[in-house]
Amino acid sequence: MTISTEIAHRVESLIGRDRVRAPSGRETRAAQLIAEPETQEEIGEIVRMCEANRSSIVAIGSARTLGAIRRAPADLGISLARMTRVIAYEPADMTVAVQAGITIGELNAVTSPSGQRVALDPLNPGLATIGATIAAHHAGPLRLSEGTARDLLIGIGFVGHDGRAVRGGGRVVKNVAGYDLMKVMGGSFGTLGIITEAVLKLRPVPAVYAIATKECTSASDAFADAAALNDAAPLAHLEVTSPAPSEAIGLAPKFTLLAGISGTATEIEYLRETVAKTLGAACQFHARDSADQLYARLRDLESFEGLVAQVATPPSALAAFLIEGGVEFRAHAGCGVAQLYSRELSPERQLETAKIMRLRARACDGYLRVLRADPEIAGEMDFFDTPSSGALTLMRRMKGAFDPNGIFNPGCFVDGI
Amino acid sequence: MRHDMQSPRRMIESSFMDAGADGSAQVDKELIAALGKIVGDGGLVSRLSELKVYECDGWTIEKSAPDLIVMPRSTEQTSAVLRTLWDRGIAFVPRGAGTGLSGGALPVNAPVMICTSRMNRIIAVDSADRRAVVESGVVNLRVSDAAREHGLFYAPDPSSQQACTIGGNIAENSGGPHTLKYGVTTNHVLGITLVLPDGEIVELGGAAEELCGYDLVGAVVGAEGTVGIVTRAILRLIRTPQAHRTFLVTFEDVESATRAVSAIIASGIVPGAIEMMDQLIVHAVEDAFHVGLPASAGAVLIVELDGLAAALDDQARTIAAIARGAGATEVRLAASDAERGALWKARKRAFGAVGRLAPNYATQDGVVPRTRLPDILRVINEVSGKYQLAIGNVFHAGDGNIHPIILYDERIPEQVRGAIDAGREILAACVAMGGSLTGEHGIGVEKQGEMPLLFSPGDLIAMAELRHVFDPAERSNPNKIIPSAGSCVEVAAPHRQVPI
Ligand SMILES: Cc1cc2nc3c(=O)[nH]c(=O)nc-3n(C[C@H](O)[C@H](O)[C@H](O)COP(=O)(O)OP(=O)(O)OC[C@H]3O[C@@H](n4cnc5c(N)ncnc54)[C@H](O)[C@@H]3O)c2cc1C
Repeated sequence: MTISTEIAHRVESLIGRDRVRAPSGRETRAAQLIAEPETQEEIGEIVRMCEANRSSIVAIGSARTLGAIRRAPADLGISLARMTRVIAYEPADMTVAVQAGITIGELNAVTSPSGQRVALDPLNPGLATIGATIAAHHAGPLRLSEGTARDLLIGIGFVGHDGRAVRGGGRVVKNVAGYDLMKVMGGSFGTLGIITEAVLKLRPVPAVYAIATKECTSASDAFADAAALNDAAPLAHLEVTSPAPSEAIGLAPKFTLLAGISGTATEIEYLRETVAKTLGAACQFHARDSADQLYARLRDLESFEGLVAQVATPPSALAAFLIEGGVEFRAHAGCGVAQLYSRELSPERQLETAKIMRLRARACDGYLRVLRADPEIAGEMDFFDTPSSGALTLMRRMKGAFDPNGIFNPGCFVDGI
Repeated sequence: MRHDMQSPRRMIESSFMDAGADGSAQVDKELIAALGKIVGDGGLVSRLSELKVYECDGWTIEKSAPDLIVMPRSTEQTSAVLRTLWDRGIAFVPRGAGTGLSGGALPVNAPVMICTSRMNRIIAVDSADRRAVVESGVVNLRVSDAAREHGLFYAPDPSSQQACTIGGNIAENSGGPHTLKYGVTTNHVLGITLVLPDGEIVELGGAAEELCGYDLVGAVVGAEGTVGIVTRAILRLIRTPQAHRTFLVTFEDVESATRAVSAIIASGIVPGAIEMMDQLIVHAVEDAFHVGLPASAGAVLIVELDGLAAALDDQARTIAAIARGAGATEVRLAASDAERGALWKARKRAFGAVGRLAPNYATQDGVVPRTRLPDILRVINEVSGKYQLAIGNVFHAGDGNIHPIILYDERIPEQVRGAIDAGREILAACVAMGGSLTGEHGIGVEKQGEMPLLFSPGDLIAMAELRHVFDPAERSNPNKIIPSAGSCVEVAAPHRQVPI
């Protein structure tokens, strides 16, 4: 009997045969076996079983994140596909409590009739679960105006070691009771426990949205325009794309600036004027359906073949980093964050490129995270940056405190945590 | 004293009164000399009369002066000081300006106080990145003052901002009227220099917006000084809005005012601030500052819109219509910057004005979901009747963050007892409505006993484990936040505060 069939039997005995299955598609790189629990208690029992067996366990949304960066599949994947309920939604409070398996798309379908949205827009919100968005700190263009999961999360529930269910925060928008466990779990990549519930602040859906684009002759022109625009007006989002991504979202293969504006009709009118004045005659406005479609393509820009990474620098350092970098990119210009697409296919060159880009990021006080590389080199690739040694010591202690048996997504985070 | 985390009614009982004995034994001539060498003689306070000044923060119920105060000038000095204490096994309490309202800076089993008042430099304001790098002893308002020439400001604006420090704000995760739109301290701190209790200096976060590893910055913000001393921070600055429209809206009663709050929030407009004052507070403020608040009002709201000048008139019309629909008797728009300034001054000094109404007062800090504001105000009214104590309300209505101010006379024992019980009843009602024990003032020593109302023993254990990641020996601000056997004082008087 292989390890996984043995675990399969145990999990089946805990939650029933029909809810244990083989992984499919991207899941195969994340876990050898998938369990679909329905409650926190079931997850608690599974966690206890895994701790007793020293089996590794990972939470899985659509497996896009872990599928790309795990060196080897974990013993067991916990799919939250059966934990997708909206627990409480009171529109007038503008907060919502959900189970972590719900996708952003599903949640927005619930809140949009009330003119509200969860203002998180990672790649393909229809696939992105709330749990994964929090755990991997995924964000999209709207981070400029709405912040990230870090800013919108006001309460959290997770199953930690010993199968214990832990809650932090609450359901109100302002709350300083106790230590901030939302921050502990946010961006922890499932290495401290399985996020099962989240409470989020909601934001009003703007009445009008439009997007301005401008083809630029060079990256430096595009970033100069972006900086001027960011100073001139409060924007919903602000991107610069290099030629290949520009083409992929249906524009000419040029360096392109894309600026989202949103608000009431009067605000849009003013913003349009300001944007036009700042960018000059070459800028083009897209409104209504065509704006929505362009925004969706920009947000859901699928990775290209090859190496994909995300860089974060102090905002004013990003342009120089990208201009000298010589790789394709989608930059969130006002935030100092960009996705990098090196279309290098050779695994050796991918390792080399990642190393160089990381050194350059460090040189301007930034970080580089590899989002995807050739599976063949997953074992050698450093997907994460290494924090300063003092911070790293604290992180190791954090891992030790929350996951003393080392079962939660082991070996997949900074410095092999 | 054994402690039972399950019991929500447990009083905060403490043994720190007798901690002085072992504490003072630890601070001896040798230690004073060693620390003096690090910070210079001007950086130490050891005279009893001077120590008395530091015996409490804005939570004045319990007093306990430290045995020694150390005022380092730099991160390196702070590190050397903590190392010296660590080697001797001595605990310490960090202190900024001492305006905290939950006893966070009260020494409990901590003989040495570390004051950040001499780390007060603004190191850089970077307009291109919209960041400020400051030392932790910098007073909140100075950051916005320094950023103003760049068209930027620092958003968290506690009413105490003329005095409180960035270090204190970080420890308490402080808010203010404008955090409704812009978020609280944690949303504006990107990097922290932290000196751990053993003296090690760690740099957490940085000027970039993405994290490298766990969000340790987020864990330090709101930890109430229990994870070491913050000496520096990288803060996010926000563009100053183009324009403001500030309203004073008058209502006959608090119910209609709270109805207006809900309706404004539901309208999809996110104002910069929505603040409420009830009749008792309006009278007190008007008597003290004569800013022209309507004497006949049952409640007033200060509603501030900010954003693009072009759009504000539309929004202002909408707000005015909503307010009238909810029963407003007058909607007055501040006609000038001076008028707007006067309104905010009145609001921010409301606590001070209350001092004239009764010999003593106790301010509570609780939160309810915004839709439950009418319910909690009804409870407050009932509690006021039950204990025969006047209670005023001045608070951050847009966030559901209430601040009932309970008036009493400390010379009358039943009033003292009543004020304590009234506060607890209101907090319990907040929690029962799905709210929280504190929106911005922190748990400190004040609300440790109430923590089990909100969190299970398992939740509290996880929080304690988090604290131990930074401070396994509990040397930094011991016996705060999490109820434990060591944190034990019978609360003998309700929460008072010094007006500033
Ligand atoms: C009139 C008045 C109005 C107020 N209004 C508001 C308001 O609107 N919103 C709000 O949120 N609060 C308000 N407060 C509460 C108080 O001002 C805040 O909690 C403030 O952040 C405390 O800052 P401080 O510098 O005075 O800190 P202190 O009171 O000195 O300390 C507070 C806590 O921080 C810790 N600490 C201080 N500095 C450091 C450091 N460098 N490193 C680690 N720990 C540290 C201390 O140990 C303590 O636990 C008000 C208080 C008053 C008196």
